[in-house]
Amino acid sequence: MIELSDDSLVFSFPEVHASAKLEINLQRTLRIPDDDGLYPLPPGLGEFPLQHVDDFAERVPKAWIEHGGVMFPMYQSEAMWIYFHASYDDEREVSYPFAVKIATGKINAVTGKEWAFGLSRREQDYVVPPEQPWLDGYCVKKGEIRQFVAMPLGSGYSAEEQLTGKAEHGGLQIVAYPMKREVYERRFPKCERRRGNVMYSMQEKSEDMFSQVCEPSMALAPGGRMKQEIYDDPYEYTDWDLGHCSRCFVHITNSMVWHSITGKNPPTTPPTSEEYTRAGLPWFNWYDDHNQVLQGSDKLAGMKSVAELGKEKGDVPLPENESVDPHNIVQLRNGLKPGQVREWKQPLLM
Amino acid sequence: MSNEFGQYLRKRREELLKGSPDFTVRKVAGRLGIQPSYVSKVERCEVPPPSEATILRWAEELGEDPDVLLALAGKVSAELRDVIVKRPKVFAQLLRELKDAPDHALLRVVREVRDGKW
Repeated sequence: MIELSDDSLVFSFPEVHASAKLEINLQRTLRIPDDDGLYPLPPGLGEFPLQHVDDFAERVPKAWIEHGGVMFPMYQSEAMWIYFHASYDDEREVSYPFAVKIATGKINAVTGKEWAFGLSRREQDYVVPPEQPWLDGYCVKKGEIRQFVAMPLGSGYSAEEQLTGKAEHGGLQIVAYPMKREVYERRFPKCERRRGNVMYSMQEKSEDMFSQVCEPSMALAPGGRMKQEIYDDPYEYTDWDLGHCSRCFVHITNSMVWHSITGKNPPTTPPTSEEYTRAGLPWFNWYDDHNQVLQGSDKLAGMKSVAELGKEKGDVPLPENESVDPHNIVQLRNGLKPGQVREWKQPLLM
Repeated sequence: MSNEFGQYLRKRREELLKGSPDFTVRKVAGRLGIQPSYVSKVERCEVPPPSEATILRWAEELGEDPDVLLALAGKVSAELRDVIVKRPKVFAQLLRELKDAPDHALLRVVREVRDGKW
């Protein structure tokens, strides 16, 4: 089942294992310059606020109710990254492994292929938390992604529109598969020296109307280039429990109409990359020397970035797109603390 | 008239008074913006419980849960009333179903994110 808790999606599989819990939240961040430079990882600026679409059934498009799931507001001037936090099992001193497929507009963010059920190992179409703590964009080549940025659905910039020629779905789609219970218990036996029950907590944390306002649906599009490795699955394909999965459709709405839907203000606009860098605030690099890195998808690499496509169309989709030279870069290597989110949050103990 | 409400307020104030002289009837009344004699009468159950707004201030003053004090006074907060009135059928059914459940089973209601047709 999936529960919405403190702006995080908590996927839990008690029928598989008591520790099979995965928290996913969507982090606000800077829109890195879309200038063909290769940038380090930007910070996490807190979670996007999530709401059940059912709670605003009168004010969201009918398709959203049909899809179910949740929604959040996004400015065109900001970007998003996805944070995975598998629950930490203190008895085994590991986090429960999951295979997670991410798609935008039903285009897989790792392979560029259209949405399909199940997992593909031959051309890996998923990421594996906890080995993969974050995903910031489309896997375009080995060690490089293009940042997830928001553009109005129908404007032609989104990955979905570039790869299918249609503007049907928008939003973000997530499905998680846990590792099989017997495989988990075999691979990660209990540690004899610790018998406590302490676990790291999971944070413990009308269509008519729209016709008068503007297109509420946003879609994710490829933004600037960023250094990020997407890791190869270190387990066997048969280790994944394909009989148990949970999926969520995450709708993205323009921040300008968020208030008219929910009555709540959207978060304030984030700083630009230039403002953030000028203030001397940190950027990040993260590598895990123990894992193999995926090569990236030719389909995704063939997409044009928002800036490139804007230039072709004669649009100015990014009014502020100055190049920056990040000088304060925090190097993170293996051994992230459970729950580490580029330094903005610490894990809590239950 | 609810005797339990007045007695509870008095007991709690007197406990606090043991640790601080700020909890005399006069001082509490001053901070609540009401007459000391009225505080005494409420504590002795000589008058009906005060308004919801006063009970909420009283709860804050004594560090008590406002919903608990309102319940002792035989009241439900306007906020909860609004919640129930908006969807009376659903909440009436929910409360009836849960009324006999033990506390440990009521610690948290989990709401599942609904999956639809993609």
